[in-house]
Amino acid sequence: MRRRRSFGVVAGLMAIGMVVAGCSSSNNNDASSSKSGSPTNPAEINVFTIPSPSADALKKMAPLFTAKTGIKVNFSSTEYGTAHQKALLSIKSKQGAFDVVQFDNTFLPAFATAGALTPLDEYQKSDAYDINDFSPALQKYGTYGGKTYGLVLSTEPFITWYRKSILAKANVKPPTTWDEYQAVAKATNSGKTHGQIMGYGTGGGDWWWMQLVWSFGGQLYDKDFKPTVNTPEAVAATQYYKDLLPLAPSGALSFTGDDVTIQYASTQIAQMIQYSGYASGVFDASKSPVAGDTGVAAVPAGKVNAVELAGWNIGIPSDAPSPDAGWQFLEFALGKDNAKKMLEFGAAAIGRKSVTTDPVLLATYPYLSLLSLDTPGLVVYPYPQLVTWPEFDKACSDGLADILTGKVSVQDGLNALNDKLIPILAKEPKV
Amino acid sequence: MNPPSDVPGDVALEPRDASPGLDGFLPLKVATSSIARRAKRTAISGTLPTWLILIPIGAVPLVVGVWLSLRDENLISPLPSTFVGLENYRTDVFNPTFGKALVVTLMIMAIGLLVQVPLGLFLAVLLDRALRGTQLFRTALITPMLLTPVAVALMFRFMFNSELGVINWALGSLHLPRLDWLGESTAALLAVVIVDSWQAVPFIMLLLLAGLTALPQGPREAASVDGASAWQTFRYVTLPMLTPVLLVTIMIRLIDGFKLFDIIFILTRGGPGTDTQTVSMLDYNTAFTFLATSRAAAIGTVLALLTLPVYFVWVRVTRIEQ
Repeated sequence: MRRRRSFGVVAGLMAIGMVVAGCSSSNNNDASSSKSGSPTNPAEINVFTIPSPSADALKKMAPLFTAKTGIKVNFSSTEYGTAHQKALLSIKSKQGAFDVVQFDNTFLPAFATAGALTPLDEYQKSDAYDINDFSPALQKYGTYGGKTYGLVLSTEPFITWYRKSILAKANVKPPTTWDEYQAVAKATNSGKTHGQIMGYGTGGGDWWWMQLVWSFGGQLYDKDFKPTVNTPEAVAATQYYKDLLPLAPSGALSFTGDDVTIQYASTQIAQMIQYSGYASGVFDASKSPVAGDTGVAAVPAGKVNAVELAGWNIGIPSDAPSPDAGWQFLEFALGKDNAKKMLEFGAAAIGRKSVTTDPVLLATYPYLSLLSLDTPGLVVYPYPQLVTWPEFDKACSDGLADILTGKVSVQDGLNALNDKLIPILAKEPKV
Repeated sequence: MNPPSDVPGDVALEPRDASPGLDGFLPLKVATSSIARRAKRTAISGTLPTWLILIPIGAVPLVVGVWLSLRDENLISPLPSTFVGLENYRTDVFNPTFGKALVVTLMIMAIGLLVQVPLGLFLAVLLDRALRGTQLFRTALITPMLLTPVAVALMFRFMFNSELGVINWALGSLHLPRLDWLGESTAALLAVVIVDSWQAVPFIMLLLLAGLTALPQGPREAASVDGASAWQTFRYVTLPMLTPVLLVTIMIRLIDGFKLFDIIFILTRGGPGTDTQTVSMLDYNTAFTFLATSRAAAIGTVLALLTLPVYFVWVRVTRIEQ
């Protein structure tokens, strides 16, 4: 009997172990770390990517790079959900598995704080890369704590997308302010046509809300990392966000990035606020029924002419065996000469001036002019540069859901969210 | 009383192995204990390879997991982790978020079982009758079980789309109100149960069908001869005989319920808000989104502890079955 009990305990504990093992860190690197050649002159490099059009374009650039330098490029890809954990684990355990690593800009502070990235300030002074080809806002896109850790792999600000035919039928012009956006939405919202769409869903709806808070003159937190999401500006922005919900298709409460675009491209929706990175899909006539009927404009202005900026970063891990070769590849693929080729290979555009002002490219990709982000008076907001961003983001998303589903009033919901953000932001290191 | 034995080791065995029926037959006792020792040695050597595999992949992660849960390891910090005792349990387990996730988990499990077990049982009984077309029906019913949960969830996510989905189209065709399946709390919970049930019912059906097939025909035929109706035969003869299989099936589904993650991850992402966020989903978010390894280990440890009662019931049921 005792033996049975012991076995029971052991087996029970094993059950715990299996679950915990599932939750705890794992570290499987797909890329081979074996290389011949010296670190300064390696025969091959390993690149860690996250599935995306930009990563696909990098893979297409690799043979060209190999032909030029003789360095073979191996790619290892991990889906977004576990990519950052895997990359961080690999780098922190100093496995030297990767020479280049792709990451979301939202994880830049976490990577930088963990000491996982090599500063690129010296590298990016090269003529071939030409940092001055970017607007000041984009020059800072990969910086944290005064150092550059990531290059711009894609430039994806929010822009306004509209259906030309629906707006023409309602005799309205594309909006330039949030008041006009609401007016256009009301004017076009009838029958099977919806006035507008933006993200309202769990796990991302808050990105649209942040844009509105900034446009309405609010901030998410102050310089001491005290949350400020219940200020009058934030309340007005949230009320506006909620008021637009009835003008969106039913089900919008579950829509985030991809769903928003799918809905826009598949149904009758007058306007959409969405990241420019979706352009390749929406304007591809072979895939999108609205390709010829879609126009684009800058995101509407509010009290502040603000625009939220998203996009991939890419850098060199601090444990990279061949950082110089890694830089060679980045300089080749993302430098001034080949940035246009990346676009042709299907990547989300890189907002270089040489790309956004190219008349030939503009004829094919009219939205490119919106990516330079150097309009006078335009305030560019990247995602909050927080080490605690994932928790901050989740708390905002969860808190907004309670407001949007009517469980709490806007003011009460934001007060609760503000309280919830205090302990999260308290963990933020002072940089 | 029996004379003392001269066989070394027999005295030591006497108190444990003493039984009235064998006391007078020492040679037989010696032989029995020898056989027992040999059997024990064989058992140990036979299971040793299994233990050699299980210990590294089971016990080691267990110890590391519990150890991690007592530290402040996270992937962001450049500093080495330190021992924090039960702090992670205080902050991440004993809080309203975990409590709500646990309630959601239990609700999905309870509603799921209420739907899945009767339906699975009904289908199993139906298929046990060897009616015409049973084979085809059985194959068709098993198909959902063979599909990857992620693929199933993706498919249903499109089907639940309020405007483009076939489910609301069907409801509209029947003049029933369309639902915001993934955006409204109750509907989202229902959607999760529907998708989970779509995959689980065939599994339950298959287990119960196997149980029904293995039952002896005699008692059922005797009941029938005694004039019992089909319902009475099922209720008072078949069902009691099937109870052990039924309990094992429920145990498996309970464990599955605690593990439920992929369907929710794809279908609702735990939303709206946290209204369909299960403990597994919360654990995933903590580990992979917040990169807070130790906090996730604490949640994982508690989640595993929560499944322990299911394990003990399982052992008991297995004994009953034997």
